[in-house]
Amino acid sequence: MTSEQELLAEQVLNAHRQSAPDGSLRAHRAWHDLDPDARRETAEAAERLRKLEAALSPEGHSSTVSAVLARLRSSRGTP
Amino acid sequence: MVDEAQLLAALRAGDLTAFGQWAARAEPSLRAALRPFAAAVDVEAVVQEALLRVWQVAPRFTPDGRPNALLRFACVTARNAAVSELRRSGPSAATLDDVERALASEPTGRPWEPDPFLRAAIAECREQLPKQPGLALTARLTSAGADDDATLANRLGMKLNTFLQNFTRARKLLQACLEKKGVRLDEELAP
Repeated sequence: MTSEQELLAEQVLNAHRQSAPDGSLRAHRAWHDLDPDARRETAEAAERLRKLEAALSPEGHSSTVSAVLARLRSSRGTP
Repeated sequence: MVDEAQLLAALRAGDLTAFGQWAARAEPSLRAALRPFAAAVDVEAVVQEALLRVWQVAPRFTPDGRPNALLRFACVTARNAAVSELRRSGPSAATLDDVERALASEPTGRPWEPDPFLRAAIAECREQLPKQPGLALTARLTSAGADDDATLANRLGMKLNTFLQNFTRARKLLQACLEKKGVRLDEELAP
């Protein structure tokens, strides 16, 4: 990966995703600028990173699981 | 480990804690099921979408009597979400070949559990990170997907590129530290 692609990939590794108007989740803006090989490598890196995050979390939650739970709590209006 | 009947009863009762525990074990299988789509869809968005759909459907879900029914259902849901996303983007012939191969194989749906040795090793390696990479890692972990990187960088008083470089450094240093401790990440972290 080029250094520019590495910086894009690093942003894609963040679990933050915006919602589309229909409520579905949008692909990360930076993901669109990655070439196909970089997209595959980033998905592999995300598999490792999420397990590291889960292992570091007292609840065993990766940032993906935490983001989903936050959306569900927000839709219920609970903290 | 929670029995699936107990889990489904908890989900019917709207128990988010039980759902979080299940989702933590399910996530690696979902990501594995989506590998063939990785060049064509943003796997992170699809995994989150699939988990949200499972939560919505779980109260009405009927297990098929085989092990890990909800997890297998989640993998199929994730693949269906990926196919829907692909249709919107107009896939290439090569992508369609990958997808056909993926859909021909049944997802394994094996729950993942981190072992205590791995947890301890990662925590030790995290403590050894230099300050700036450690701050970038902590910012991402604390935010847990709530903020984009521009927001996190701003919070730390870093430029976006500096923040991203520090996060890359943190990931690489963690990996190198774990390898020194004899942890072979690709084996330990395999789904």
